[in-house]
Formats: sequence, C-alpha cells, structure tokens
Amino acid sequence: MEILIYGITNSVTLALMAIGFSLTFGISGVPNFAHGAFYLLGGILTWIFINQLGIPYLFSAILSVIIVGLLGFGLYWGLMLRLRGLVVNEVIATLAAAIVIIEVLRYLGFSGFTYVLPEFIKGSVNIGKAWLDYQRIFLVGIGVGLIIFLYIFTHRTRVGLSFRAIAQNERTAISLGIDSDWTAALSMAFGSALAVVAGLAILPLGSIDTEVGYDILIYALAVGIVGGLESVPGIVLASFILGFCQILVATFFKAQWLTVVTLGAIVLILAVKPSGIFGKYKELEERV
Amino acid sequence: MLEVKNLMVFFENALALNDLSLDVYRGEIVSALGSNSAGKTTLMNTISGLIIDMKVKEERKGGERITIMGEVRFEGEEILSAKPSLRIRKGIALSRERHPIFPDSDIEENLRISTYLRRDREINKTYDFVYDIFPPLKALKKRRAGFCSGGEQQMLSIGMALMTKPKLLLLDEPLLGLSPAMQNSLIQAIKQIHREGITVLVAEQFARPLLPIVDRGYIIENGMLTLQGTGQELRENPEVRSSFMGV
Repeated sequence: MEILIYGITNSVTLALMAIGFSLTFGISGVPNFAHGAFYLLGGILTWIFINQLGIPYLFSAILSVIIVGLLGFGLYWGLMLRLRGLVVNEVIATLAAAIVIIEVLRYLGFSGFTYVLPEFIKGSVNIGKAWLDYQRIFLVGIGVGLIIFLYIFTHRTRVGLSFRAIAQNERTAISLGIDSDWTAALSMAFGSALAVVAGLAILPLGSIDTEVGYDILIYALAVGIVGGLESVPGIVLASFILGFCQILVATFFKAQWLTVVTLGAIVLILAVKPSGIFGKYKELEERV
Repeated sequence: MLEVKNLMVFFENALALNDLSLDVYRGEIVSALGSNSAGKTTLMNTISGLIIDMKVKEERKGGERITIMGEVRFEGEEILSAKPSLRIRKGIALSRERHPIFPDSDIEENLRISTYLRRDREINKTYDFVYDIFPPLKALKKRRAGFCSGGEQQMLSIGMALMTKPKLLLLDEPLLGLSPAMQNSLIQAIKQIHREGITVLVAEQFARPLLPIVDRGYIIENGMLTLQGTGQELRENPEVRSSFMGV
C-alpha cells in the first residue's frame, strides 16, 4: 500500500519534471538543457517575490512562470535561432545557459534552509500506513491536470494545433502559413514555463538547493529517453516505470541506489530501443 | 495573375532555374512539364515562397547558399522575397510533391491545421467544399492520415491547400506514384476545382492524363524553358509525346 501511494506520487513528480522538456523537444527539436536551471530559477524568483517584495504567493507564482517563460522565448530568439538543426551546438548552448544561471544563483547564495517555499496547504493524512502530506496530493492533482490541459491545448486550440503541425512536418506547416520560428520559440517559452510550474509544485516539499538545477535535468532526460522524448504517453508511462522502480529500490535495498536506477534505465533503454518506448524519432533506422 | 520573369535560382553554384519566364492568367489550368531534376519543384517553391524560408534557415547556420534573382508578380504585386505566410494570405497555396501530410493527425485535424491563417467565419463552407471535391476524405474523416493510402493522402494534401482558400493553386506532381484509376479521379477533381474559379498551375512529368485538361503548358528542361504552347499543341508535338506521354 505504501509502495503504491509513494510510487504514484513519485511517478507524478517525475512526469512533472519531464513534461516541459519533452514538449519543447517534441515541437522544436531543441533539447533544452536549461530546463533544470529554469525550474530552479522559477523557485528562487517566487521566493524573492514573496519574501523580499511581499507579493502574495499566487501572484508571485504566476509572475515567475511568466518571467521564466519570456526568458525561454528570449533564449530561443537570441541564441537558438542561429543554431537550429545543429544538434551538438544546441546542446552546448543550452547547457552553457544552464550552467550560467545555476552558478550565478549559487554565487548569490540562494541555497539552504532559509529558502523554503510555503506549501499550498499545510498538514498531512494517513492512508493505511502511508503518511502523505497535502502538498503531495496537490502535486498529483497538478500533474494530472497539466497532462489533461496539454492534451486539450494541443488538440483544440489554434496555437496548439500549429505546435503539432510543426512537430510532424515542418515544411508542410510552413507551406500552410505557420511561422516555424515563432512556433518553436513559443514552444520553448511553454516548456520553460512548465518547468517553473513543476518547480512550484515540487519545491515546497524541501528547501531550495542549487544542485536541483542539475538533478532535474538528469531526471527529465531519464524519463524522456525511456519514454520517447517527444511522446506524452511515453513520458507518463516512463515516469511510472521509473517512479515505481525507485520506490521499490528505496524500500527493499538502499536509498543510495536511486540514482543508479535512473541512470541504469537510460543505459538499458539506449541499448535495447534507442528511441524510447513510444518514441518515433529513430523508428525507421531501428527497423532496418 | 501570376507573372514570372527571368527567374534564376542557384543552390551554391548549381543553377536550378535559368532565366525562366512564364505567365498564368486568371481562370486557367497551366502545366509545367519536365523530367526529374528539371527544376519543377524549385519553381513551385519559389512561387509559394517556401524557398525564402529555406534560404533564411541556411543563411543562419552558414549552410548552402541559395540565390534568387528575377521577378515574381502576383496580381501585379512583386512577391519574390515575401514570406510564405504572406503569399498564402494573398491567395497562393501549394500542395507539395509526395503528399507530405501530418501523419499522426486524423484527416479532419489535418484540414483544421490548414486553416491556421484564416479568421473568417466561412471555414465550415470550405470543409464542405473540400469534402465535396474529395468524397473519400469525408468517409475517412477520423482516420489517422498516416494510415491512408497514397491516393487518399494526395487528395488530403490538395484539400489542405484548398482550406487556405486560394486564388491560385500550385500542385507539385499530384499524379506521382498513383494508380491510373486514382490519377483519373484526381484529374476530375482538378477540373472541378478549376470550375469553382480557382486558377491552377500543375507541375508534372507524366502528361498523358493531364494535357487534355490544361489550357497551356510549358516544358522545362535543366531549369530552362524549351517549349510552350496550348494543351492541344503540346499533345500533338512528337517530342512531348515521346518524353512525357509514354507514346
């Protein structure tokens, strides 16, 4: 029972971490290695807004989502536009941006027990022997809500449909009048904003540490690679597989093995099915 | 309606179109015939503006240098360096060769995506228009486009171009890889589209089913115009018969 409950919350946490990364990659093909940095930055911005400027929690949260979203847009427009299609350069550029953001924040000293985001509602419940705080319940709700929202957004709205068009066939989309640069920049803004949403849901569970900037990236990559980088069902499935594996390992072995599970999964899936469980990225090459 | 004058297109130093001039008048069906690598697709991409996008992207990353010279006028306006989206707003739509549709979306969604630039309230009428021209699409509305046959995908590709409500429809090799029966029904569809008042420019390499319905045709070889005439004249030309009609 505990395994089930902790497994679910852990899985949804992983899915939240990965969803923004996967969205950007699926649409624009840009692997946003600054994902973790944006996650961290969003948390710290919110903390500054609440504690230094005295803005209410909700507004601070919305404000930092917007700011980081704009930052993602700016990163694409200013930097990635010229590198589009050169995969190695994209990785280097976004990773460099990530290191700059994280290390500047570390230099400014945003790390440690002072930097704690408030929980939405304090308290916890007992389900069987499992002890679950309300924040984690919220987190599952946000995760499920976000995935439903993304589905509706990409299937029903004009911008969402243009996202799907660019992801499927860029030239055809352009020949129908969809601007590929604008759409890709929007997808990066969206992905970055989702990183902050994830951060705001997850960070209140502990204190903010600049290291999470790197950790989140690893988790997002692991989930993405296992599930198939551009596939939302893949992301959900992979986060459940990894989430439960982690909890099982932590329960029956030792917590130190957690990272090994994640990284081991990357190695395993790359050896067996490089495009991930639901990925189509290299499906043809694999079939040949 | 469309005037192309002294158009030259280079990919690096390779000449894809050489001093090419052609006209399309309102209400015509015009064909541009040529074998593989004659420059048909480059011509279509230059008219639809896709090549501008390719050029900009190559320039940004320092890739292949694309040079475009000459004039392309649509309804009297110079559009040689206009973005594809602007040209669609003006009424030029392209159905690309080998029917590259959105394979993971169903047919209806493909058509819906194609209305991206439209803000008017008559979109529903255009759906009916497209389904009327291509009845099979209506029956397969909810089928994923990637699972449809080549002919159905070709219909969809043309249907998507029609969803932008064009005045000039560019078709790049619409008959490529289709069965004779499917080719015939597409020809009928092109006739019907033309009857509805849309001007059509078709690039093809197989002319036999096409020439009977075209008003005028141009023959392109190695990026140059070698022959032009009415559909009748071209059909009777022995060289055209041997090169493009398989006779």
